[in-house]
Amino acid sequence: MIVPEFKMTLRLRAVSTVSAGIGMIFMLIIVGALFPAVGHSIGRLKIPKGVSELLGGADYGTITGWYRSEVGSIYGPLVIAGLAIVGAAATTAGEEEDRILALVLAHPVERRRLVVSKAAAIALVVLITAAVTLAGLLAGVALAGGGISTGHLAAYTVQLAFFGFATGAVALAVGAGTGRRALANGVAGAFAIAGWLINGFAPLVGAIAWLKYLSLFHYYAAGDQLTGGIDLGAIAVLGLFSLALVGVAMLGLERRDLRA
Amino acid sequence: MSSTAAIATSGLSKDYGSGHGLFDLDLEVRRGEVFGFLGPNGAGKSTTMRLLLDLIKPSSGSARLLGLDSRSESLQIRRRVGFLPGDFALFGMLSGQVVLDYFAALRGGLDRRTRDSLVERFDADLSRPVRELSTGNRQKLGLIQAFMHEPELLILDEPITGLDPLVQQSFHELLGELSNEGRTVFLSSHTLSEVERVTDRLAILRQGRLVVVDSLENLRKVAVQRLEIEFASPPSPEQFERLAGVSQAVLDGRILTVAFEGSADAVVKAAASHEVLSIRPRDGDLEEIFLRYYRAEPPA
Repeated sequence: MIVPEFKMTLRLRAVSTVSAGIGMIFMLIIVGALFPAVGHSIGRLKIPKGVSELLGGADYGTITGWYRSEVGSIYGPLVIAGLAIVGAAATTAGEEEDRILALVLAHPVERRRLVVSKAAAIALVVLITAAVTLAGLLAGVALAGGGISTGHLAAYTVQLAFFGFATGAVALAVGAGTGRRALANGVAGAFAIAGWLINGFAPLVGAIAWLKYLSLFHYYAAGDQLTGGIDLGAIAVLGLFSLALVGVAMLGLERRDLRA
Repeated sequence: MSSTAAIATSGLSKDYGSGHGLFDLDLEVRRGEVFGFLGPNGAGKSTTMRLLLDLIKPSSGSARLLGLDSRSESLQIRRRVGFLPGDFALFGMLSGQVVLDYFAALRGGLDRRTRDSLVERFDADLSRPVRELSTGNRQKLGLIQAFMHEPELLILDEPITGLDPLVQQSFHELLGELSNEGRTVFLSSHTLSEVERVTDRLAILRQGRLVVVDSLENLRKVAVQRLEIEFASPPSPEQFERLAGVSQAVLDGRILTVAFEGSADAVVKAAASHEVLSIRPRDGDLEEIFLRYYRAEPPA
């Protein structure tokens, strides 16, 4: 049985999910169409090491490097994390701040079940967006003249989805634990951005290179899926991290007073 | 605490610090009664209701609803209770129909007949998005969701907020029907006039503490009463102020307003020594006793 909280969360996220999906497809097709025209000229640019690390190597001269930098380092994680974070914060802390959660919990609904239902709905939003991303990538790569296999693109979108789960789980845990939407958005967003910067810059400085292991981006980018396929170890880390934070969210909501 | 009461609290407290919250609430609401829970804003009425439904946890004390513990057996309680929060809000983009379907689904699905009859009774509009509805029309949805599963106990926080007089009348009739069916209603308000037509007993809360629990009948006995007496020619107010039980006599033209406690016999007999054109009781006498409780000066 699909629990009503799950269905309602999906319903409330439908507009943003469809909008993001349309935007993603449009953007991926444009990126693909641009490669034959500008890829080789941009590929000759000299980009500083730190910046190129942030941009996934900035190897714009090849189709895999083009997509790794344009989509893998910027648009993909930005859209998926944005949807997951905003959705997870809205469905927990947002409903509480909007004074709806108290009425829902005055019904025979267990708080833990509520959190799991909402987490599952946000996970489905992420999966749908990842699937749309795969469709956009296939179309974009075809327009660019090919060069990346369907399997490698699928591997990338799987890892992207797990990155979405993890960033959304941070917002879910903070939102459920505090009832504050802005805090949930802020903490999860800051964690994702800090992870992006750390993953780009930490490897350049030996003393802090270990920090990259604290970055979700490290696991998201691990294995270079566009050439190397899926990295199961990274998937496991992102998956376990997400599950652990859903557990934290359950305990957080269970143990506190709802805000007035 | 009685295990047969609809609501029974023992030393129930929620301390928010700085004197805010609820303190040592001992209260019993009998099954089948309509119980008014009064107090000024911030007195602790909503806090009490949130404690009863396990939305917040008590600092100390305990509560039982329908014989069940409000903490450990909350899920069973919530199956049998209908709740309307004072700050009732809904998903603005969804229609009333969708919202009520959702709340019904949270209860595992409901018989539509009760809901349909409530929609008809309150003349509720289920087709428009909630954000386009007036406060009163949104409140109708709140009442319907609270009543539609035919709960044994209703906990209603400021239920008639925004309702027009006709809907208020329908609501009061509904409360009467529920009471006749043996169901219990626990409703809060900050004004007596909202509840005096429907409650059997009531409690007054002030600054988080219970100051009185009694029936309306008993409270009326100790309330200050007023008579407006119109004379053919103005009498001396002092003649009335000297009478036993009279606290005030004010003359305005030929009309004398006399405030007194207890029997009206002495006032009427004194008035009879003059030519009386009319005698009218003045409304609002019970309000005065409530205001005195609110202001921390219980009636003598």
